Amino acid sequence: MTSRLLWVVVLVAALGALPASGQQPYYAGKTIEIIVPFAPGGGSDIDARFFAPFLEKYVPGNPRVVVRNMPGGGSILGANFFAENARPDGTQLLTTSGSTMIPYILGVPQVRYDPTKWELIKVNGVGGVLYVSPRTGVRKPEDLVRPAERLVYGGISATGLDLVTLLLFEVLGLDVRVVMGFEGRGPARLAFERGETNIDYQTTPAYLSQVVPLVREGKAIPILSMGFVNEKGVMVRDPSAPDLPSAYEAYQAIFKRKPDGLLRWKAYQSMVAAAFTFQKALWAPGGTPPEALQALRTAVDRMKADPQFRQQGRQVLEGYEVLRGDVAKSAVLRAARVTLDVKKYITDLLRSKYQVRL
Amino acid sequence: MAEALSAAAGLFLSPTRLGMLVLGSGVGLLIGILPGMGGIVAAAILLPFMLKLEPAAALAMVTGALAVVHTSDTITSVLIGAPGSAAAVPTMMEGHPMARRGEAARALAAAYLSSLVGGIIGALGLTVSIPLARPLVLSFGSPELFMLTVLGVSFAGSLLGREPLKGLSAGLLGLLLGTVGPAPAAAEVRFAFGQVYLTDGIDLALVALGLFGVAEVVSLLARGGAVAQRMELGRGWWQGVLDVWQHRWLVIRGALIGMWAGVLPAIGATAGTLMAYGHAVATSRDRSRFGKGDVRGIIAPEAANNAVEAGDLVPTLLFGVPGGAPSAMILGALLAYGILPGPRIVTQHLDLIYTVVWSFALANVLGAGVMFATSPLLARLTYVPFNRIAPPIVLAMVLAAFQETQHFGDLVSLVALGVAGYALKVTGWPRGPLLIGFVLSNPLERYYFLTVNLYPRPEDWLLRPGVVVIGLLVVAPFVWSAFRWLREGTRTRRETPRQPAGASAVATAVVLGVFGYAWWTARGFLPDAALMPVSVAAAGTVLTAVQLARELRGQGSPVTDEDEVEAEPGAVRERVRRAVAYLVSLALYVAATWFLGLRWASVLWSLWVLVGVARVRWPTAVAYAALMVVGLDLLASLLGVHLPEGRLRL
Repeated sequence: MTSRLLWVVVLVAALGALPASGQQPYYAGKTIEIIVPFAPGGGSDIDARFFAPFLEKYVPGNPRVVVRNMPGGGSILGANFFAENARPDGTQLLTTSGSTMIPYILGVPQVRYDPTKWELIKVNGVGGVLYVSPRTGVRKPEDLVRPAERLVYGGISATGLDLVTLLLFEVLGLDVRVVMGFEGRGPARLAFERGETNIDYQTTPAYLSQVVPLVREGKAIPILSMGFVNEKGVMVRDPSAPDLPSAYEAYQAIFKRKPDGLLRWKAYQSMVAAAFTFQKALWAPGGTPPEALQALRTAVDRMKADPQFRQQGRQVLEGYEVLRGDVAKSAVLRAARVTLDVKKYITDLLRSKYQVRL
Repeated sequence: MAEALSAAAGLFLSPTRLGMLVLGSGVGLLIGILPGMGGIVAAAILLPFMLKLEPAAALAMVTGALAVVHTSDTITSVLIGAPGSAAAVPTMMEGHPMARRGEAARALAAAYLSSLVGGIIGALGLTVSIPLARPLVLSFGSPELFMLTVLGVSFAGSLLGREPLKGLSAGLLGLLLGTVGPAPAAAEVRFAFGQVYLTDGIDLALVALGLFGVAEVVSLLARGGAVAQRMELGRGWWQGVLDVWQHRWLVIRGALIGMWAGVLPAIGATAGTLMAYGHAVATSRDRSRFGKGDVRGIIAPEAANNAVEAGDLVPTLLFGVPGGAPSAMILGALLAYGILPGPRIVTQHLDLIYTVVWSFALANVLGAGVMFATSPLLARLTYVPFNRIAPPIVLAMVLAAFQETQHFGDLVSLVALGVAGYALKVTGWPRGPLLIGFVLSNPLERYYFLTVNLYPRPEDWLLRPGVVVIGLLVVAPFVWSAFRWLREGTRTRRETPRQPAGASAVATAVVLGVFGYAWWTARGFLPDAALMPVSVAAAGTVLTAVQLARELRGQGSPVTDEDEVEAEPGAVRERVRRAVAYLVSLALYVAATWFLGLRWASVLWSLWVLVGVARVRWPTAVAYAALMVVGLDLLASLLGVHLPEGRLRL
């Protein structure tokens, strides 16, 4: 009886979702523009250009989808532009990355956007793996606190994605000499390979392609993954590096207790969520008509069933799931809204240890 | 390796792949011709098509495009003086004066042939070095990379021009301009004046377009007439070919410099090209013709800028570290095919790598061939009255500037840099050192801090063999000059006629003001953010103060708008006055864009030039302007650029 009722409900809902006969789909003849607030060739650009043809294929009405790069101010400029000028009719969307969310979370004065007012279309994440040089004598997380030589880490800037690593060092109580100023994670990895640094992290895709060969040659030892925050707000292992302990487990191994409740742990976990787990998000402006949002979000579900999407996405998405916006929204917004004590902890840390004035 | 080579040849010799290669090269050549647009734009246009092809065909297409953008960007650089890309600036500095002498054909022939040879050497180098490149690249640590940037900056020393003091100050000005934006080693944004637009620094393409392109177009417009005054097409072609043969070792050295600049991180394409140019000047016995159209100054950088693109593929494919935005886009496309750059690519996808290499070589041959064939026609453009071809060129430059970030700031920067470029040009400030300083400022500062922070004890890095060797290379030319100076004494010193202090002194005073202001402001930065701007600005303040004192005592040089000295002072004054009027018109153009949108502003400005200045009849002018705007729209939609709409909705 209940199952038959369920069928009826599903049928009615499906009929309701179908466009009335003769009615044009919302996006017929329209052009969707995805604003990428970064220069061509970066991770967010690749992500947007990967999704564009699948949106064309699966949004009802087959709109044209174009990518528009508006770099500047480490993505603040393009995101500000979107917040202030985007038409709320579903024809202008914005890609954001972790480096768009961090300045928002920290309350950087130039930020004039507020993602909590936007509509999320899709989000997909990435993980990170921390590895060390064999010279450090570190083999497992417990060894990190007593390395054979001083740990040296190469970073880009304290207010970018490196913030997550810096918070990890605080959580685990590591004594690391941090050298900022690399132009990207790639050059930082080269410095590791040259022996100039001895602890490094890469996002999981870069880890799998660039560092795993070094691991096989015995030139690098993976220690832990930055962790992945699931929809319930719990940190789990990185789905693309399931053999490695997460930072949560690493803490337990070192300190023999759980980190929950610690302020620095809360700061770390919320930053992992904002900067890694929900790294690549696609947004529509607030006030976008529901039929447009519906069309875009269903397209996300439909493309996930496409074998071509899965095959091409293997490298671009690296085994991380693409979440539909309405499903992931509350988790993403939870990550974007940090509590005041966490924010204060981070700004104090940046000011006292890394000379960052916010 | 031999197996992979032949496998690649098999992959490569299929009709579709060759077709894609030709198609890609065609797009590359067309985009290269447009001033200010290069590999990034070509890759962005091709990317949507690439994802619909199989990997080898897609790679052939995009490699074909990247291989030739620096072949065709020579055209605008030589004929119009608007650098086709930042890496074409040296070609412009030498090739354009040649075009004005009526030697456009010779300059173009020399440039294409050097590009071709440079590209082939790059492809060969790539073939040979792929098995060895990994350990080689890793042997360059941060200290060596730092020393290489120092070496690059020292190449500016051979480009100082008539007044070395001004040349040095120009180099420092470039270094200072490069510090605008985020400091590499400290969390501080410098000299942004509260503008978010400036927080990422000033874009290189804008600097090249403004300082060189706008300045040159304005100066040509002010001079009136056509680019070339003398009709001498004829045997110029053959002469250009002979030039390359005569300087064959220079071609090879230029290509090798370019290739290494591409392979190693930190240097970059533009700096590599400029270093090749500096090398050509430094190793020439007679330097008097440089800056006035010396073919050696075309040969070396043209060989370098094609080789740079080949070299750039090494870190991209072997390390997944792209040297520039175009190769970053190739990287993204490879990922979508499931091809992961990195150590394993040599074992797993060697055939694809060699497909890239072969495509690169073949595209270079194709590109040079096409350009050779079309250039006699294009060289005739130099005999058309310039004010009739200026509007489409200016429109293309405006679009090129605007597609950088698609903010209004791009247009404002373009005109501001154009004004600065023209002012520097007429008051005898060499812009070559300025550009070198600008492109190397960030890597110099970055690798300095990385070096001293990664090697806390100075003896740990100063005594590394690589550092010592590069250090000697830096010092040698100075020791050699000092030695010559001691032996020959001051005999060669020329007496310059006394000049009353005029516009030149005003320009020097403005530069002094910039240095002084920067010095004052930078003292408030965080220590690691302040070191570079403070030292550069302090040195600049001292040098320009000395220069200003010299000029006030009447030891400066006169205002010229030409390198030819035959012009009378009265005529020069008149030309400068007209040029200022054109600069004002460009500023009004940008202001009109704010109110009316780019389309209408472009129409108005073009009509003003065509009807008001070139005396074209109204119907023709209107049709011409309409055609240009249609072209602008077409190009913009291809690039994913929204032409700015005006505040007044029309």
